[in-house]
Amino acid sequence: MRRSLISTTTLLLCVSAATALAAPGTVMRDEKIYTQPNSSSAVAGNAAKGASVNILDKQGGWLRVTAGKTTGWIRILSVRAGEGGLGGTGVGDVVGAATTRSDPSRVVAVAGLRGLNDEELKQAKFNAAELIQLDTWVVTVAQAKTFAGQAGLVTVNVPALPEPKPAKAPSSWESN
Amino acid sequence: MKLKFTLMALVVSLASFSGVASGFDLGKFLDDRINQETSKDKKTQTVPAQTPATTQSAAATPPPANQKIDAEKLGFALFGDYSLEEENRIGRQISGNLLGAVPLVRDDTLQRYVNLVGNWVALQSGRKDITWRFGVLDTEDINAFAAPGGYIFVTKGLYRLLNNEAELAGVLGHEIAHVTKKHHLKVLKQSSLISALGQVAGSKAQNSDQIVQNLIGNGAEIMARGLDKNAEFEADRVGMVFAARAGYEPWGLPEVLQDMAGLPAKGERTSLLFKTHPLPADRLAMLGESVDGRLDAVQGKDLANRFYRIR
Repeated sequence: MRRSLISTTTLLLCVSAATALAAPGTVMRDEKIYTQPNSSSAVAGNAAKGASVNILDKQGGWLRVTAGKTTGWIRILSVRAGEGGLGGTGVGDVVGAATTRSDPSRVVAVAGLRGLNDEELKQAKFNAAELIQLDTWVVTVAQAKTFAGQAGLVTVNVPALPEPKPAKAPSSWESN
Repeated sequence: MKLKFTLMALVVSLASFSGVASGFDLGKFLDDRINQETSKDKKTQTVPAQTPATTQSAAATPPPANQKIDAEKLGFALFGDYSLEEENRIGRQISGNLLGAVPLVRDDTLQRYVNLVGNWVALQSGRKDITWRFGVLDTEDINAFAAPGGYIFVTKGLYRLLNNEAELAGVLGHEIAHVTKKHHLKVLKQSSLISALGQVAGSKAQNSDQIVQNLIGNGAEIMARGLDKNAEFEADRVGMVFAARAGYEPWGLPEVLQDMAGLPAKGERTSLLFKTHPLPADRLAMLGESVDGRLDAVQGKDLANRFYRIR
């Protein structure tokens, strides 16, 4: 934890020292860039799908970005990490790099360990003792409600999200 | 061979149900199962007269003449819904096998914490008939799993990527959605048709655990095969909403996906994750289309201070 603190601090210094180090991102859909992190603020400009941006900051569901000459706020779901291609380009934790909320070195630190694989899962033998262990941590509904209340979590009425319309192929999943 | 031909025809018709670019390779899965079942047939050839199957399966898929099926003995509905008891038994078997491959982290505080967050999120799903069990698996691999009946697992490697409770809630919400949408049961229902054809009424009466194991294949391999990618996209949408309904800021899951998008695609610790899930960038894009501005007004907590950090 100490090492990760140090590197987070280093990262923080880098980011504040030079905004040129802002994380690169790619716009995933035609989207507006707003002057404030909310959609009722004035529109600062537009970003086209595929455009490159620099991510400077994050606030709630919004990222502060520079796209060409425009700097403003864009929805977090309209931008992904990295430039070009299909993503997963290994540029590191984009949101974290821009806001120091997480330390990408944690990922590198333990690389090289063998991961879970098909064969391991296929060969797995039933472990009853671990299931019993799992049961010892089960909590009741009342305990979960108390836990939520302690942090001031209250339920919010959020409607279900629609399935995106422009699906390339009709989803056979839903029709089964 | 007639049986083989009939089975192949069934595979073709089943395969057409699934998405063309499915992340879950149903064709291969069925192929493997058929090979298993047909090789089993060679060993068990006694086929006594049977009572007529009472389920709709008899009408919907007439069994080959040389193959007798006792759907009741199979113990699992072929076309109807799995009962709650069946769902629990399937989930318990898969989870027990998974835990045979990778044990739970021995940290009571961590495990209780994850169960408290998970249960609170699961309460928003409306599914009240099951006992939710959450566990952190002791591996640096980055992944999460769900099994029917309310079994949810997150790896230590994935947990380490998380920065706050809202992100944990988002990840757990995704897995909870797999359970409430019964994604794995739908996959099993498809494969159980094949399994049914391979079951011979005269074979040695198997105990129910063995029947469940036959249904899910070898060990926890069902976890290595993944689901249809549309099931993953759906779990993202539904899970994000569960977390938001629980009072968390809705952006926890997208933030984790953003972090995953930055991970090396070929890493040892992500190979299974990326094999069984669509690319994080694709998942973000699908979420973006679906969410648009719909959650702009939703306020929530990220609870970074309360988040339990592992050593």
